[in-house]
Amino acid sequence: MQVFLTQVLNGLQLSMLMYLLAAGLTLIFGLMNILNLAHGAFFTLGAYCGVVVAGSTGSFWLALLVGPLLPLLLGVVLQSMVLQPLAERGRSTHLDLALLTFGLLFATAGAVEWVFGSAFLSIPTPVALSGHVNLLGISYPVYRLFIIGVGLAVAVGLTFVFDRTLLGATLRAGVDNRAMVAALGVNINALFAVVFGLGAALAGLAGVIAAPLTSVYSQMGITIVVETFVVVVVGGLGNLRGSFYASLIVGMTNAMSQAYLPEVEMFAIYALLIGVMIVRPQGLFRNVERVA
Amino acid sequence: MSNEVTMARTSTAREGITLASQVRRATLVLATAAMLGALALPWLSASYATTLAIEIMIAGIFASGINLLLGGTGLVSLGQGMFLGLGGYGVGIGSTVLGLPLWLSVPMTLVVVAVLAAGIGAVCTRTRGVEFLLITLAFSQLFFGAAIKLRLTNGSDGMSGIPRPDLTFLGLNGDNPVVFYYYVLIVTILVAAAMWRIVESPFGSILAAIRESERRAAAMGYAVSSYKVGAFIIAAVTCAVAGILQSQYTYFINPDSMSWQLSGEGVLMVIIGGTTSIVGPLVGAAVFVLAKQGLSILTTEYMMFFGIFFMLVVAFFRNGVVEALKSALWSKP
Repeated sequence: MQVFLTQVLNGLQLSMLMYLLAAGLTLIFGLMNILNLAHGAFFTLGAYCGVVVAGSTGSFWLALLVGPLLPLLLGVVLQSMVLQPLAERGRSTHLDLALLTFGLLFATAGAVEWVFGSAFLSIPTPVALSGHVNLLGISYPVYRLFIIGVGLAVAVGLTFVFDRTLLGATLRAGVDNRAMVAALGVNINALFAVVFGLGAALAGLAGVIAAPLTSVYSQMGITIVVETFVVVVVGGLGNLRGSFYASLIVGMTNAMSQAYLPEVEMFAIYALLIGVMIVRPQGLFRNVERVA
Repeated sequence: MSNEVTMARTSTAREGITLASQVRRATLVLATAAMLGALALPWLSASYATTLAIEIMIAGIFASGINLLLGGTGLVSLGQGMFLGLGGYGVGIGSTVLGLPLWLSVPMTLVVVAVLAAGIGAVCTRTRGVEFLLITLAFSQLFFGAAIKLRLTNGSDGMSGIPRPDLTFLGLNGDNPVVFYYYVLIVTILVAAAMWRIVESPFGSILAAIRESERRAAAMGYAVSSYKVGAFIIAAVTCAVAGILQSQYTYFINPDSMSWQLSGEGVLMVIIGGTTSIVGPLVGAAVFVLAKQGLSILTTEYMMFFGIFFMLVVAFFRNGVVEALKSALWSKP
């Protein structure tokens, strides 16, 4: 029972990390139709920014604050100066832009390796969050609970922005009917750049908070991006709320199979994805989404 | 495609005809030169060039398989690496575990791949666009995971000792790089010829119709889904052929050959070469392998330049090197 509870918490922690990545990815897809394979690159960059800041200032909290800034900036630049102009010149968003971001994923991994070498780095767990806490009879690391907290906070924050603000309303409208939103006088390109940047910043944030738990290395983003795609598809492409539930499903599947069925660990989530695509190709949660 | 349209618009019919015959003659000359060069290569240059050429041809066969889906049918698969890996593992299991001779294990592998591809293709081709890309990716990750986890395939260490063809009845030794080079060259020519036949056949025309407008093809009464599954099977078998050659070339197969990075590299080869011709994937594979080799000689950080190189290709040479060369050589102001 105690082992099971630990696994549930581990699964929850993994889910929240995946949600941070999936939220940006699904919004970028829903709004711009771009399959952003470079999303993993922002994860890597955030982690390395965090390592540099934490290493030079010794403050995890400063790293948490500064880490997402570079991905944010790069995301805005990438969308407004590279992807948008190419899309306007009639490039297929599905194939060409996906491939371009595929190249970027590798260029980033290479650049990071060039600057930092291929060593495995890490950020030390901040003092305030180190140690264990007794929870329902088990001793659980505080830092993992912190990740769960960050994930939930981001989920609540994003839901609030999405449901209750003008930006959110414009976003929902943009996912529904892009041309109509542009016709109503919204600067859709600026909106795209903002969303792309915010998505990248969330991926960077995920990179920083993952750094004390996992090792930071140049190809860390390449491995995680595929798992994030599973979340995004299971939740329904472009469906923010769906990707929250989907990250719970995928994170739990991953954690449970690691603990109890290590033979299927590598492919349990892909079997899940294939199953979902056969039964409900539009994602599990398309109907949950409120259409404004 | 768009180049041809502008060409027809800007030149008179007569110029168009002479242009077409010029193009045809030049293509013939180039093809003959390439063929003679390929035949003579082992005598002309050092063994390094021969091994590079072997790698190019294997990558070219892989890219040709991808191009039947991408250029021929308009389906972007990010999972063809799984068939490359299945080809290699098929021969690996057949030869080293079951102890079968190659003349038995190779056809068996191809049949198994075809059957698997029929099942996977039936599922995948129900989707299109980005969903197709993602579901093929999921299937390849499934096989990637299986290859790592299964004891039969020796986990992430992979299988070694995969034999090259035994050619002693011809008085040749398959382990000799030059002999292996000609073996791969013959297979490449056969695959290219088969691809050309398929694309030019009525079957290929229907695939092109599906690429241009699936609805219209369906409305004309073609069983669109069967044709797509057919294309999927042929593409899978072609990729498996590349996988068999690859595993024989290195005497080795490991799960990396099923990784999604490799599938992505294959798609990029097709994009570099261009999707509109049979030689496109081969040219793309050549550019890809040479660029990779050149960069890794020049710098240890080739991955960064490699990524940048691809971004530039996708951004500026979308129609591929072959089309870019054609329009540079024969464009009229």
